[in-house]
Formats: sequence, structure tokens, C-alpha cells
Amino acid sequence: MKPAQMDTTQAEAFVDAQCALLGLPLAPEHRPGVVRYLHLVAGMAPRVMDFALTPADESGSVFVPVSPTGGGPR
Amino acid sequence: MSAVARVAASLARIEATDGRVNAFTAVLADRAMARAAAVDAGQVTGPLAGMPFAVKNLFDADGLATLAGSKIERESAPAIRDAFLVRQLEAAGAVLVGALNMDEYAYGFTTENTHYGPTRNPHDLTRVSGGSSGGSAAAVAAGQVPLTLGSDTNGSIRVPASLCGVFGLKPTLGRLSRAGSYPFVASLDHLGPFARSVTDLAAAYDAMQGHDPDDPAQQARPIEPTSAQLARGSDGLRIGVLGGWFRTMTLPPALAAVERVAAALGAERVVEWPEVDRARAAAFLITNVEGATLHLPRLKTRAQDFEPLSRDRFLAGALLPAVWVQQSQRVRRWFAQQVAKSFEDVDVLIAPTTPCTSPVIGTEWLEINGIRMPARASMGLLTQPVSCIGLPAVSVPLWGLDPAAPHLPIGVQIIAAPWREDLCLRVARALEAAGVVSAPIARLASID
Repeated sequence: MKPAQMDTTQAEAFVDAQCALLGLPLAPEHRPGVVRYLHLVAGMAPRVMDFALTPADESGSVFVPVSPTGGGPR
Repeated sequence: MSAVARVAASLARIEATDGRVNAFTAVLADRAMARAAAVDAGQVTGPLAGMPFAVKNLFDADGLATLAGSKIERESAPAIRDAFLVRQLEAAGAVLVGALNMDEYAYGFTTENTHYGPTRNPHDLTRVSGGSSGGSAAAVAAGQVPLTLGSDTNGSIRVPASLCGVFGLKPTLGRLSRAGSYPFVASLDHLGPFARSVTDLAAAYDAMQGHDPDDPAQQARPIEPTSAQLARGSDGLRIGVLGGWFRTMTLPPALAAVERVAAALGAERVVEWPEVDRARAAAFLITNVEGATLHLPRLKTRAQDFEPLSRDRFLAGALLPAVWVQQSQRVRRWFAQQVAKSFEDVDVLIAPTTPCTSPVIGTEWLEINGIRMPARASMGLLTQPVSCIGLPAVSVPLWGLDPAAPHLPIGVQIIAAPWREDLCLRVARALEAAGVVSAPIARLASID
């Protein structure tokens, strides 16, 4: 199933399940906007997910190790 | 003119005009006058001596709660120290006079802030100032201060600079310290200045450089001053025009602005970056998920207190599959590698900053190339692919290119390879000297 093809019922079920998993209360008046926005983002996601990358393609997010302030033994 | 006189004039202009513009959320008159007196007494010297400035209210200012445009942060403890960049500017003689309106938590492109009211475009008070650093651009355009600071995650310096007709610099990602500013998206957040002249823009940028041990994201770079380079202009530079996405996702005034700049610079070569729409999608997804992650504790307990225009986006961002954002980071890296190749053949690239001139406040939709698009998000279509990979860019203001609204400005981005802010500023200065771009103070018509 492609996320972009989710219908409203599926999108609502996804929102409810994810909110339960996160412990995120969702007010009834906010739910339609969240579902609408999920559809918008889901329509955009294939632009990155369908792009062929190789295992050698690194992440743009690179962690820098943190050294202790005082330095180590000499 | 003394520093005290300059700061007093700035405070008087704010008092006279901000009821119509709504750029400021706090004015620090006592602090500013005391600091100005110290400058006049010779206790502080520097290239910015006596220059009033203001900052987007996501910068820490000693004694003020750092609002980041929100209602929730009003309850935060006041900052106990100025942000690093504020300290750098004041060490160079500038004087902080206040804090500026913005989209809540920097998630927007229009500064239609529900809690604090919209910041109005000084060149047409019925229109948006752009965002999320709308107050920063409007304060400069209104002549309230000659210098401001803002942040740019996806275009939030360049978009309001374009819509308000001022100069704005987004430096290379990791160049300037972000310590003491309220974050939005750690992967993409940049800080930078707005001004009415390239000389002031460069002077402020130069003063803000410097190592800050409190910012883990700052890159180890030497201080590379640019002011002395400005007079070199565009001589000897290979300048190209970005095609593809940057021509397709625009309306005629934006294309006309690029053509005018290209003609002035003698730039004929068209450069196309590959897969720009994928880079934009990557930035969109990274922003949505990182921003939502940052605010998840508040979304769980106080969602009703968020800005209605962005709350649902934040909530949805908390729910997305992790693979979408991890893959976005890989696409981003791939795109940066491709773009780096383009800079082997050119030194500087030009592109429109916004697809159109400033929309009327409340505009929901606009049409670009026959496609109906959400107006607010569309303001970042042309800036997002550039900040996605951290390139430095200056937005320069042009005038009279929208036949339907000839009083409105529109910006063009001057983009260079990483760490070459000097080239962006040199080209901007050349265009300013040639009279192609300028940032006049708005005449400020009455709101009614």
C-alpha cells in the first residue's frame, strides 16, 4: 500500500494508532486538520522514498563525537 | 550623529509607526539608551558604533522571556544572558532596541501570528510581511532600525526580505553560532542579518563571526571578513542563472526580476540542478518531523495554546514514519553532492527568492503554472532547496516588476558554494552600486 493512496478512513485509523502509541491526546476539533495534513505529507513522501539510493549514500545528518572537557591521559 | 541621538530617533520612529506595522513585541528603551550613552562615552567602540538593531523574538535578550512567537513561552523564565550574536553585535558597538514578531516557533512564511497579530508589510499595510522573520524584515523596511537579526530554516530570512524589499543574508549552515536562540529544526536552522544596504549587511555579518564553544553545530572555520571585499564587485566571477524548478515554480514578476539581475551581471549561462523537487520534499519532511519532535511535550499537554495556523502540522509531524525522515537526510546529502558539482563551473548562481510579490493578508491559495497551491507554504518553494543543503545566499530587492502591484518589491537570491558568503555579498554590492537593487524606507500609508 502506498501511503499517498490512503483513504480518509485509513488515515484516521493511522492517526489514532500513532497518537495512542505516543501518548499524544488529540482533541476532536484538531483531528480533521491532522488527517488533512497527513494526506498532504503522504503525497510528498514518495518524492524521497521512490528515489534510488545505494547503501553507500550517507545520511546528511552526521553525528560528531563529544570529547570530555578536560581531555584524556597524556 | 551620536549613539544616543541615533537610538532616540529609532525609538521615536518605532513609537510613531509600529501601531500600523506591528513589527515589535518588546521595546527595550531604557537598556538601549544606557548602552548608547556608554558608546558615546567611548566605553564601547567598533565598526557598528551606535547602530540600533532589533532581533526576532527567538533570540535571548537578557531579562526578556524568549517567546519564539508563541503564547506558551510567555510563561518561560526570562533569559539571563543575551544570545551569542547579540553579544557579538553589541561588542562591535551596535545597540539592541527590541524584539520582533514572527510566526510561532518559526513554522510559517507570512507572520500572520494569531497571538500577537500580523506583522504588516510597510510597503502595503494590507499585505503580509513574509516570515517567519516578518518583524525583522518589516522593521528595517519601515525605517525603525537599520539592522535586524532573523532565522532561516527553509527561507525565513530570504522570504520576508523579498516581500518587504530589504537585503537579507542567510550564511552557510554552521557558520554563525545559534547559541541563545530558540531552535526549530536542528538540521536546518541558520541565523543571519537584514539591512537596507549591503555595506551594513556585511558589517553585521563580519561582527557576528567567531567561535562559540556553546554551539555544538557551529563548524570550525576561521573568521573570514567580507567588508573589505565588497568593492571588488562581480569582477572575474562566473555567474549562472538557475533554471528548471526555479523558472517553473514562479510567476512573471519573479522571472522579470531574475532577468533584470542577469542582464546587469551579464549572466547568460543557465544551470539546472537535478531533482530539486525531491530536495524540497526532503526539507519539508525533515522540518515537519524535527519540529514536531522538539515540541512533542507541549503538543501533549497544551495543543490548544499553539498557533492555529501551524498546530495541525506540528501534530501530524509527530506521527510520521521514521523512514521518511531518515531517507530525506540521505536524499539531502545526495543533492548536496550534485549541487557541489555545479559550482565547479560557476561561482555564483541567481534565482528568484519568492514565486510572487507579497500576498494580501489572509490569502489561502495561489496558482503557479496552472497548479493551485497553498499560498503560505508556497512562499518557500524557491528558498527551501537552497537552505536544505546549507548554501549561503543573499536576497536582494527589486522594484516595479509586478504590473498589478508596481509598489511592491520582490527578491532575487544570490547563491554561492558553502563558506563563500563573500561572493554573495560582492555581487549584491555590485547590483546595489549599479542601481539595480535598493531598499528604500517605506512611506507607510495609513492603515485605513
